[in-house]
Amino acid sequence: MSTGGATAKEGDRGSASDEAGGVTIDAKTAQRMEQDRRDKILVRRLKAGDERAFQELVQTYQNRVFGLVFRMIGNRQEAEDLAQDVFLTVYKAIGSYRGEGRFYTWLYRVASNTCKNRIKYLKGRHFNTRVDVDDNTEAQMPSREGGALHSLQSQVPGPEAMIQGQRLQRAIQRELANLDEEHRLLIVLRDIEGLPYADIMRITGLPAGTVKSRLHRARVALKERMKSYLR
Amino acid sequence: MAQSETNSAEELMTAYLDHEMDAEESEAFEAMLADSPETQEELSDLRQVLQLVQGLPEVEAPPDFFEKVAKKIRRRKLLDGEIPLFITVSFQVLSVLVVLVIAAVYTMIHLDRDPAAKLEKDPKAAVAEVEGDAEARGEPGGAAVPQASPAPDAAPPGSSPPASAD
Repeated sequence: MSTGGATAKEGDRGSASDEAGGVTIDAKTAQRMEQDRRDKILVRRLKAGDERAFQELVQTYQNRVFGLVFRMIGNRQEAEDLAQDVFLTVYKAIGSYRGEGRFYTWLYRVASNTCKNRIKYLKGRHFNTRVDVDDNTEAQMPSREGGALHSLQSQVPGPEAMIQGQRLQRAIQRELANLDEEHRLLIVLRDIEGLPYADIMRITGLPAGTVKSRLHRARVALKERMKSYLR
Repeated sequence: MAQSETNSAEELMTAYLDHEMDAEESEAFEAMLADSPETQEELSDLRQVLQLVQGLPEVEAPPDFFEKVAKKIRRRKLLDGEIPLFITVSFQVLSVLVVLVIAAVYTMIHLDRDPAAKLEKDPKAAVAEVEGDAEARGEPGGAAVPQASPAPDAAPPGSSPPASAD
């Protein structure tokens, strides 16, 4: 049975086909498996004390971790510091990673726990989350044709599309930052990062049903906050 | 019971929005939607919110992100009393440093063995050493060099003669 798309053939991608129980796999799955294989090698090298492997891991995941943290915290400077702390924890705790599951779900768990702890700490210090959406000018975004920024702007017709698009971004980020951190995390993982439920379950430690029902409540809460911007 | 029904409805809504239902489940959900205008409206609003959230641009870490992480690790290791590892020093820089250290050690060893170099540092010491070498070989030139210190059995000048035992 084929799931469509490119199929993994025998030879260099034969192991991918074997792992899928002889079923042909699509290009995305093959890419994911290749990334997992690379991560395993890097983790093994890092555990053996290879500092270069750590550098490769950081460079592979720095944008994703920074993105997750930035959406959770809403402040670029704070997010940068926190993302650095995530990798510092990874460096120190890599020995406790037993290689069960995908490496990135473990990394995301570290990142989400670090975020939650920082949010609690900042709440205790009455830190006013400043939303750095002004930083998100196109110059600082990945310059790709038809990117996400473009798609957000295109939702607003007229010559002031860019200004309105930025205003919307600011509003979403602000309202996201005002959600309960559990809700915020689920929206970031599912709707922004686009992770599959199975990985979200591993990251959060929640069963599938709870992930879905909480995600619904999170979306409804955000919808209520975004009411004035809808329609 | 009511709580589990609510959870179930929420799960269904999420699964429907995320296209995680099979055809049969979708049909059943859509049939239920047809009888509920409120749910239809909620679904429409949620779709809009999702569209906005999913349209947020990707953000990138600063270009010097790894260097900052490495710096933080080094600082933490220093605080913990560990020897910092050169995780940010590139291989080229490390190679140059190693070559410089080897060159310095070699030069120091070479200086210790080279009398000419010692002469430059301390002429007296070098002369004594040269003389010692000449004497050991029995060369006449060695006698011409004045003694740096008196013979151990010679009486020191000005000292009183030994007392006679009369």
